[in-house]
Formats: sequence, structure tokens, C-alpha cells
Amino acid sequence: MNNYKNIGKNLLRVDGKQKVMGKTKYPQDIYMDDMLYGATLRSTEPHAYFKIDISEAEKLDGVVKILTHRDITGENRHGVLFKDHEVLCKEKVRRIGDPIAFVIAESPKKAKEAKKLIKIQYEKISAVFDPKEAMKENAPKIHDDSNIVYHYKCRKGNVEKGFKKCDVIVEREYKTSMVDHAFLQPESGLSYMEEDGTLVICAATQYPHFDQIEIADALGLPKERIKIINPAVGGAFGGREDITMQIHIGLGALLTGRPVKVCYDREESFYAHSKRHPLYMKYKTGADRTGKLIALEAEIIGDTGAYASWAVNVLRKSGVHATGPYEIDNVKIDSYAVYTNNPFCGAMRGFGATQIPVACEQQMDIIAEKLGISPVEIRLRNCFRKNSVTATGQVLVESVPLDKCIRIVSKRLFAESEMVWG
Amino acid sequence: MKKRGKGIAVSFYGTGYGNGFPDVSTATIRLEDEGKISISVGATEVGQGAKTVLSQIGSEVLGIEIEDIVLINEDTSKTPDSGTAAASRQTYNTGNAVKIAMESFRKKLFEESKELLGLNTSIGLETKNKEVYLKMFPQKKTTFKEIAQKLKKQKRRLEATESFTAQTTEMDPETGQGAPYWPYTFNCYGVEVEVDTETGKVDIIRALCAQDVGRAMNPTMIEGQIDGGFAMGAGYALFEDLGLKEGRIKNNKFSKYIIPTALDLPEIEKFIIEDPESTGPFGAKGIGEPVMIPVAPAILNAIYNAVGVRILELPATPEKILQAIKSYGKV
Amino acid sequence: MINIKLNVNGKDYDLEIEEDLRLIDLLRDRLGFTGTKEGCGEGECGACTVILEGKTVNSCLLLAIQAHGKEITTIEGIGKEDDLHPIQESFLENGAVQCGYCIPGMVLSAKALLDKNKNPTRKDIREAISGNLCRCTGYEKIVDSIEKASKILQQRGSESHEQL
Repeated sequence: MNNYKNIGKNLLRVDGKQKVMGKTKYPQDIYMDDMLYGATLRSTEPHAYFKIDISEAEKLDGVVKILTHRDITGENRHGVLFKDHEVLCKEKVRRIGDPIAFVIAESPKKAKEAKKLIKIQYEKISAVFDPKEAMKENAPKIHDDSNIVYHYKCRKGNVEKGFKKCDVIVEREYKTSMVDHAFLQPESGLSYMEEDGTLVICAATQYPHFDQIEIADALGLPKERIKIINPAVGGAFGGREDITMQIHIGLGALLTGRPVKVCYDREESFYAHSKRHPLYMKYKTGADRTGKLIALEAEIIGDTGAYASWAVNVLRKSGVHATGPYEIDNVKIDSYAVYTNNPFCGAMRGFGATQIPVACEQQMDIIAEKLGISPVEIRLRNCFRKNSVTATGQVLVESVPLDKCIRIVSKRLFAESEMVWG
Repeated sequence: MKKRGKGIAVSFYGTGYGNGFPDVSTATIRLEDEGKISISVGATEVGQGAKTVLSQIGSEVLGIEIEDIVLINEDTSKTPDSGTAAASRQTYNTGNAVKIAMESFRKKLFEESKELLGLNTSIGLETKNKEVYLKMFPQKKTTFKEIAQKLKKQKRRLEATESFTAQTTEMDPETGQGAPYWPYTFNCYGVEVEVDTETGKVDIIRALCAQDVGRAMNPTMIEGQIDGGFAMGAGYALFEDLGLKEGRIKNNKFSKYIIPTALDLPEIEKFIIEDPESTGPFGAKGIGEPVMIPVAPAILNAIYNAVGVRILELPATPEKILQAIKSYGKV
Repeated sequence: MINIKLNVNGKDYDLEIEEDLRLIDLLRDRLGFTGTKEGCGEGECGACTVILEGKTVNSCLLLAIQAHGKEITTIEGIGKEDDLHPIQESFLENGAVQCGYCIPGMVLSAKALLDKNKNPTRKDIREAISGNLCRCTGYEKIVDSIEKASKILQQRGSESHEQL
């Protein structure tokens, strides 16, 4: 036991009391006098050029302003790694859900009504939804260059020689699905000008200081003039890393001089934020007859959809974690991030490392069964311990209690007879 | 027929931005008027407990109650950049920044106290109960409030700002060799499932989660993370899918995109494994993401153990399981 | 426009509203009870749960006029800053809260359960909150909290009985 006063103690959550009383303010709970409401018009086509006509919508009583790409006062782009998103698409959409126009009106009802009056003429172009297809040279290009956003390579030892030494080799292909964070609070935000000319954007975000820079660049304002208020956040899980409505409402407040609020409904939320990358994982794992892993080869393809978001970092993380927490002398891993016309993928809890064990941990059980040893045994034989070296050559110098975790769980879960299985 | 099976899975997870990207958190500590201590950080409370944990770390350094801390993190004009609330990095990174800044603040507080107490040196001063006192002669003491009042009169402010940068190296572009992340967090989860061989439905009837945490900052909140991570992992394994069709999200509402309810989850046995990390604040490591990772593979391994089918493609829906059982299962 | 009368958290309101106004919008936008949250707009997530005449309803699925002449309890009607309801106290003490967005609905579902079933099993509790989605907590600490609150309420009930 330690002698800490507060560390390790079950102190009550400091924001808990306001939350149990329902007093906590999430962005949708903030109202201002003279406030306007926004509604986003989004693409219904996955890949198309378009022309927009807002003349009818503008005439509707109660409509204050309809923002299109022409109204953007700074750079019409944003993105956490590459600036590959447009704030409002200029002439091309790359996925269903791309924002094209932002209607600002006196009431949410009017904003929605006006949205319906905007005319979009699409000229469809060929689209690609399968990342393996998208990797081919002649595939439709989502952005100007190759659809392959990133390729990570990990090389250790010699896998060909390694597999020759194996008594058992297991080859399987796995696939994970594209999923949503499904945080309970849909995106919402409110923007207004302060008297000294500061533009305030009040929205739930994971990284306010980065949003500040992205919003400043898109609005063409110095970052000191942008203030991010990050009230309570109703869950995030990676889904609030990328900009959604922040620039739209900021631009709205800047151009109308009035507070502008927007609340996405659940369906719009599904289209507005990033998703978890679905991965195709081709695995070849080999071990000797004692269950010692000798070689592992993996090819991992991640569909990042129409925008990169964190794809590079996500697929890098997939690649680095592709061996699982096991010491293996011969490793060859290739992971790719690929653009398609699907919803865009980015950060989500586990960030490319959550998908991996769906493959690599099933591989472990398959090998164990073939060798007639238990799932517990094969893991204990190979798992990282203090001073183990990872596939990237990193030494795990301390705090590696993995075998302890395995022993505690197995002892409770399995009967003695199940520990050696087969 | 209902058949039971058990499965385990393990994971490791490198926390932080990774691959040599500067992973910096900054914290500012200030003595406020009434002798309260404010911590300003740009670290978002997304529900994970950042506000509480960072207050615990800060208050520990000064030996004060968590109630005497004011944590400010909602306004970019009042907070330094503490990086994103992602990569399971806030407890480790911003926690370290808070700890270092608070230590630096304490030094300044001792210098002020030295003057106020008429001492020649600040050696031997300590803090407790919002007081600064001389350990070898405890009657010699002043309060945070007195120091704050003195400073206010002199129109001065006592504050300290410090940053922490996590270690990470860029990997070689050809071989991927390098030390991309630090620290790594480990875990092992086990489940027992019951598979209905007529419907393909999977019930998780037992769950055991052993989670490495470095040092537990707040065990109840860690358990809450494990529970939540397990639920999200179970949804990932068994039902969640956007149902994409030519770029369109078919399941774009909660009546179609199914996430676990209270009835879909078992009671979870949780084991918090402490093995302090020397570079972490009081030994802590990040756990927010790791808690989800082994859930799906443990369930898939348990399904195999129950009915002899390997589900290679998520999610393991009743239809897929039934199909697999019909073609080659061990029923 | 149409006139309605209703009672929210013990206070009477007499209002003129649009016929198609949803109950949730009346509570939030007109009356300022923003503790009632919208999570899905289709009655799936339970974040907008309120108690109407003793029963929980999804306020996103009701029109405001359906509450005419009725009594409603929102989260703002339960507990005070210095006197939390035992359910709220229990949520706070047992770590049931993370992001907090589902919590008002959870507390109201818990209250409706404990008002009619003083000694629920954990299964009863899981069933009672199965219409309230939470993405953060995995529900376990919420179930713990409701179970513990039921014990506290029973204790208090028997104490006040003894006083009688």
C-alpha cells in the first residue's frame, strides 16, 4: 500500500454532481438572444461534380444567409493531417454526406425548409468502394493522386527462412466492419462575436487548441481572434477529433454578426464524423512444435473512405501492433491506408490496434489447437515480458505485467483441466 | 441447443501520438485569491475523468484536498495547449505536465513563504492543509490564503507553467524500426459465452478483465473505463456495422445501428494490475483505449470453443454463426 | 397555435404553442429544462426520458399537446443542490457517471422503477434501464447505483414507518 493522500483513492468525479442533476451544459443546452439556426446541406452522391443554385432558397422568408464555398473568408480546407476536406465543397463531392451549403435562418424549421429549396445538379463520376480495387492504378481517383495514402513497412529477421523452421503455419484472412463511435450527444455548436471582435466557437471537441488553428485558417483570421469554448462533451471516443460544424457556425456568426447555432440529429451525426477503419487482414503465422512463434507475415489494408483524417497514424498503429504482444524473430508487415468513396474513417478507441487482435488472437488459438496446447500456454510461451524486444526493435524496459494479467484471468476462467487443452 | 465456450485474448497498446511527433502537454498552476489552487490545461473532459484525475495528481503534490483545486479546461483563451484528449495520453502526458508544473509552483510558493516567515532559506518547508510550514518547527507557518493576500496587495501573481514531452522516435521508413510509442499498456480478457445453435445468438455470460494501469489513479474510474470498453468491444464483436452500400450508411439511426443495452452485458470481474511506470505521474499509464481491445477476439475465441466455428469477419451476427454452424460446426 | 396547460416539476404552465411542437422542444426550448437530452429523436436512446403521470416516456416521441392537463417530472424536479435524491447521490458515489449525457434519463428511469418496485433484482434494474442507452459506462456501475439507492430508500421508508 502507498501513502498517497489522493492518488489511488476513489475520489468522486469533480463534474459528477452537476451531471446527476442535469445541470451540465452541453453545446445544445446553450441559448442566446437573437440567435440564428443553421442546417447543413450534404451530398447525396458518393462521387460527382455538381452545380448549386440557391436562388429559390434565399428568397424564403426567414432565411438570413446561405453559405457556400464562395463565402469562405480564408482557406476552403481543413483536416487533421492533410488538408483534404473542404469546408463547403466547391465543385466535387467525394462521399455521401459531404457538406455543400450551410443555411442560416431565424428558426431551425425555416433553415430545413430552405435546405429543400436548394437545387443541386450532380454529374456522377465513377466511384470505388472497395479499398483493394481502389489500390489499382486504373481505379477512379478520389483526390488527385494515388488512392494509397500510406504504406507502413516493418521488417525484422527473415520471414522466408523463419517459415521453413516452423512445424505449423496458419494462414487466414480476416475483415472487420466500419463502425461508429455512437457517442450519445450528437454534434452541436454555437458561435458568436464578442465585443472586442473575438469570434467564439462553442462546441464539443477533443482538441480545442487544434480546432482554434483550423478555424482561424479557414476563416482567414489570426488564431488570437478565435476562442474555443469546450463545454461538456457527451462522449467522443475519437469521433470529435475532426472538424464537423465548427467552421460553418464560425463563418455564419462572422458574416451575419449574430449568434449561430446548429444541432445535428442522429442521422446527420452518422454522416458528419469519422468512422472506425474497416481492415482487411491477411495473416500467416508460424510456430515450432513447442508453440514458440517463429515467423509472422501480415498484409493489412485499411479503408479510410473519402478523407485521410488520421489514416496514416491509424494504419501505422495497426502495423506496429500487428504481431500482438509477442516476441517473434522474423516479421514482415505491410499496412496500407487507402482512399475510397466511403464515409471517411479516422480516430476511434484503439486507433487501428483494436482491429488487429481480431486476426492475431484468433491465429494464436488456431495454432495452439493444431499443436494440442492450450490458449493460455501458447500466450505465456510467447508474451512480452520486461526487456522483451518488439517487432520494431523497441525494448520494453519496464512495467510489462502481461503474464500476470494472463495468469489471473485464466486461473479464474478455466478449470485446471482446460489449461492444457487438446 | 445452447452450447457454452470460453475464450481469452491479450493485447498491448502504445499510447501517445507516436512516430516521433512532438507529444507535448502544458499546464499552468496559479494561486487564486482565496488560497485555492487553479490548474489550467487544454485537456478535454470527454467523460473519461480527466478533470478528476488531473485534480488528484495536482492536489497530491501539494498535499491538499481535491476540493481546493479549481480545474480550468473549457476555454482556449484561459488554457495552454495540452494536446488532444485521445491516444490514451491525458493521464500520462498532461498528468506529468500538471505534476511538474505543481512541483515548480511549490518551489515558488516556498520562496514567497520564506519572505513572509522571515526565513533565510526555503529548505525544510512543507505543505499541508493549504499551509506552508517549517517541518522542524511547525509553529512557523503561513497559509495559502495569506500568501495570496500579500501577492494581491503587491499586484503580483504566483504561477508556474511547465510542459511534458513524451518520448517517441520516428521509425525507419524501410524497416519500420524504432521506438514509436511509450508507454505500452497490457491486458488480458476472458469470456464465457453461450451460443444458441438454433438461432446463432450469442450471450456473454461471464467476463474477466485484467488491466495493467501502471499505477491506479482512481480505481472506481478505471473500473468504469473497463466496463465501458467491454461494452463497446462486445458491440463491435457481435452487432455493430454501418451496413455500407455504395457509400451509403444503411444503419444510420439507433433503431438500426444497434449498440449494447444493459441486457446485453454480463457482470464483469475486474482486476486492476499495478506495475508502476517510472516515467508516468506517480507511475500511471493510459488505459482509455486498451480496455476495449481484447474484447472482440476473446468473444470470437469463445464462440469457436462453444460451437467450433471461426468467425473471420466482424460482426459475429447470429446469421453468420448459424451459417457457419450449418456448414461445419461441431454441434 | 394552440393553448395548453401542464404541470412541470410542481409548477403550472399555461402556454400557447405550435400544434406540431414536440414535448422535448417545449421542455428544452420554451421552459429551459435542458436536462432533458435528445440523443436520437426516435425513442431508441432514452436520453429524453421524463416521467409523465408516473410513467417514463420518451419526450421526443410525444407532441407537447399530448401532455395537456398532465403532470411531468424532469431531472430538474429531482433533488436539489444541497439535497440530492438518493438515486442521484448513489450515481455520484458509485462512479455511474462518465460523459453524463444519458444520466438524466437514467435517473428518471431508475426513479420510475423504484417508485413501483422497492426491492428490484439486478435483472429487474437492467430491464428497467434497457431503453436508456449509454456508450461510456457499460451500465454496470449504473446498475450498482440503482441497487444501492433502492436499499437506502427502503431503509428510509422503514425508518419513517417507525416514526409513524
